[in-house]
Amino acid sequence: MSEILNKTEEIVKKAKTLGADEVIAKTTFGKYRQTRFSNNQIDITVAWNDYLTDIALSWKKRVVATQIRDFQNVDGQLKQLFEIAKVSKENPMFGGFAKGKFKYAQSSADKKVVELGNPSEYILEAIEAAKKEAGQDINSGGILFTKFEDVYLASSEGPIGVDSRSAIEISIRAFSQREASGHSVECSSTLNGFNPSRAGLEAGEIAKLARNPKAGDEGVCSVILNPLFAGSMLGMWTSMVSAFNVMIQLSIFVDKLGQKVSPEFVTMKDNPASYSVSNRVFDDEGVPTRENVFIDRGILKTYLHNTSTAKIFKAETTGNAGLVVPNPWNVEMGLGNMGKDEMFRETRNGLYLTNTWYTRFQNYKNGDFSTIPRDGLFLIENGEIKRSLKDVRLSDNALNMLGNIAGISKERKHVHWWGEADPPSLAPYILIENVHITKSK
Amino acid sequence: MEKDIVDYALEYARGKDVEYAEVRAQSQKLEQLMLKNGILEAFLSSVNTGFCVRILADGGIGFASTNKWTKDEAKGVVDLAYRFAKAAKRKDKIRFAEEKAVETTWEVEQKKKIEDVDSETKIKQFLEVDKALTSQTVNVPARVIQAIMQLTEKYFVNTEGSRISSFVPKIAAFGFITVVEQGKSEQAFKQFGYSGGWEAFDEWQMTENLIHDVNVLKEVITKAKAVKPGTMDLVCGPEVTGIAAHESCGHPMEADRILGREMSQAGRSFIYEGSSFWIGTRIGTDVVTIVDDPAIEHSYGYYKYDDEGIKARRRYLYKNGFINEFLHNRETAAKLGIRSNASSRSANYDREAIVRMANTFVLPGKMTKEEIIEDVKNGVYMVSFTEWNIDDKRFNQRYVGREAYLIENGELKHPVARPIIETTTLKFWSAVDAVSKTVEFDAATCGKGDPMQGMSVYTGGPAIRLRGVYVK
Repeated sequence: MSEILNKTEEIVKKAKTLGADEVIAKTTFGKYRQTRFSNNQIDITVAWNDYLTDIALSWKKRVVATQIRDFQNVDGQLKQLFEIAKVSKENPMFGGFAKGKFKYAQSSADKKVVELGNPSEYILEAIEAAKKEAGQDINSGGILFTKFEDVYLASSEGPIGVDSRSAIEISIRAFSQREASGHSVECSSTLNGFNPSRAGLEAGEIAKLARNPKAGDEGVCSVILNPLFAGSMLGMWTSMVSAFNVMIQLSIFVDKLGQKVSPEFVTMKDNPASYSVSNRVFDDEGVPTRENVFIDRGILKTYLHNTSTAKIFKAETTGNAGLVVPNPWNVEMGLGNMGKDEMFRETRNGLYLTNTWYTRFQNYKNGDFSTIPRDGLFLIENGEIKRSLKDVRLSDNALNMLGNIAGISKERKHVHWWGEADPPSLAPYILIENVHITKSK
Repeated sequence: MEKDIVDYALEYARGKDVEYAEVRAQSQKLEQLMLKNGILEAFLSSVNTGFCVRILADGGIGFASTNKWTKDEAKGVVDLAYRFAKAAKRKDKIRFAEEKAVETTWEVEQKKKIEDVDSETKIKQFLEVDKALTSQTVNVPARVIQAIMQLTEKYFVNTEGSRISSFVPKIAAFGFITVVEQGKSEQAFKQFGYSGGWEAFDEWQMTENLIHDVNVLKEVITKAKAVKPGTMDLVCGPEVTGIAAHESCGHPMEADRILGREMSQAGRSFIYEGSSFWIGTRIGTDVVTIVDDPAIEHSYGYYKYDDEGIKARRRYLYKNGFINEFLHNRETAAKLGIRSNASSRSANYDREAIVRMANTFVLPGKMTKEEIIEDVKNGVYMVSFTEWNIDDKRFNQRYVGREAYLIENGELKHPVARPIIETTTLKFWSAVDAVSKTVEFDAATCGKGDPMQGMSVYTGGPAIRLRGVYVK
């Protein structure tokens, strides 16, 4: 392990010798495994091993970056990178990389996740749970994904660290009929407590309830989002808190620091904690990651920063540096005070939405967008689920929806799904009022 | 790229009890730059190289890849892929459609080689685009320009005797602009893409295109009026025709979706055996023919052989209004008892090749755009779009206009603010009564696969007229 760190530090030293002002090198040795299944059978198992060093350096405020595979041709690539730096243009907004020596939390990564003898057992467990819930005819598909990364980071500005990051996720979509499906996920950083049956059971439950859907209606109503759908919305809101996205106006939060953006009972934070599939103890500048509350009881408190954006906004880095721009890692919505059942009881006229996809914006700055609910979606009348629906679209505004949150559940679930519920989140059920629903005509 | 290691991996795989094995290697020189409001945020330069092994054994598929070029590593990934294939234990065994072995070398010509243009010139030319945007009498407070230049070398071998080497240079650029006038904002995203050399930069007319969008956005803010919702005619410009062809024809015609292989992520299709829609079913009017064609030289989705070594050809997806031919790889083709039509593509050496589009577009008709508009009494001309989406069975879609104009008695009137068509695939293509004679293409990045594989494609078509659709 120290040999890899030594090689990574060596790259930083070489770049400094060539004349770089500041250098960061991050080596990732990653093992990734994925099994895909459909129609209740395994289609393919895929493995990819990555031996990769990301390098970012500055020279007279010119920022250039490269990737080196398996420490091949380090001298040649650094030399070439320098040639590019010399003809590059100054970035006056570059505020340097993070400075100082830091202590990092101990990683709790679990190497067993990539050493699974037969990962298909997990898949069969999930499929069987869906069948048990919704009947033998249920047709399931999905993925089982595992990751184990050893990460070695060295910076000319002081930070040096080693981290291990592990994750295991299963995503299962179960069809009880051609147009009746349920989708669920189970996500964990370790094998301990990972329960694929739970995902299969939930997918089966929703699929069973979704049978014989009727086309939904247009209108304005309350919606209850389950954690998977809520995870998509949390990902949408949180990506807009990245200071970079604010600067390029890919955000509803432009000029809204210190302002009320949601009801007082709404708190959101970014926190790549050890339970998360996005766990990490330092960011790509070597700054220790931490909890960052960005919406505190309804008030927008901060954007997510790297060192450069923090200087521009006269703030401190929040430990969210990617190689070039700051990113959220893992979103947590603060616990509410409603039980899930209470949320349903209090809904006179509304929809229960369990998943969504294809969220697209007309204008990121003002927040107009639409997204397409998929899998089980249900009409709620007088506190009860009345029927299964299909073929509607949620067409609303991201800022208005944040402001119209009317309830948050006491229970939360760790969710991550494809690019739709991403970044990962700790998501509750969310009740939102006055949501616009449209449909094809 | 060390071809001897690739050959070694194939021979090692051949020694196992496999029904089929292939090794696909890729070496990609990549340059990427990002300008934010006229400032070079960063310049990335790297070489991305590695190889993968895909094995079919006992009716199961295993796949493993690495970027470590050693024989030991090659053995390791072959062993892994073989183990995965055997572990699948499928009841119905996967088979690949029979195809002839191919030995060939192909490449895309560059008039002006990307590698001969120095980094300083590349940066300078994109900076000039940004500078031109700020020289307009329009407030453009946020501008992001990204460029990606790729030189991709591939080497493909399989146990049937195929051996294919290729070299594809590709260049892409993206512009994202925000215009603010009178306290209101509008935004536009524009993508450019080309297979070939630096000559793309001149052919794109990127500066003129983005300046056009800047002025359009200003007009939308200052002059556009909301459309009175109702049933009317809609004329779609090539950009809107293209996205509709991609979303509601190309995607639902992917055989892996139809057969359920993508059921949990990208979804299924409204087309499936036993449903109201299958090959031979009417889906549009006689004037609707939509093709997917990888063989358009220098197109963003160009390839001569797909990632299973099958020679590319034009596919007629919807033909004269009827569902005609699905997009296939060898796995899906075998399930339907036919041959692959070369739709297997992978975004990188470490990703499984899956069924993908290339360049999907509506074939032209005989009218001019002006003739199409002349015959509209009350309608909207939607030139381009902002928000769009479609459900995962590819039936319910929505396109929101970015540049759009009211049509009254055959004449274009004032700009219309974000008109929306939200309708089904069947209603959309069944409403088309006229198709113009000029096809235009737009570059796009198609999303599919898990992990996501962004794939270079063209969308396109002529202007088309939809009669009596609901626009709001």
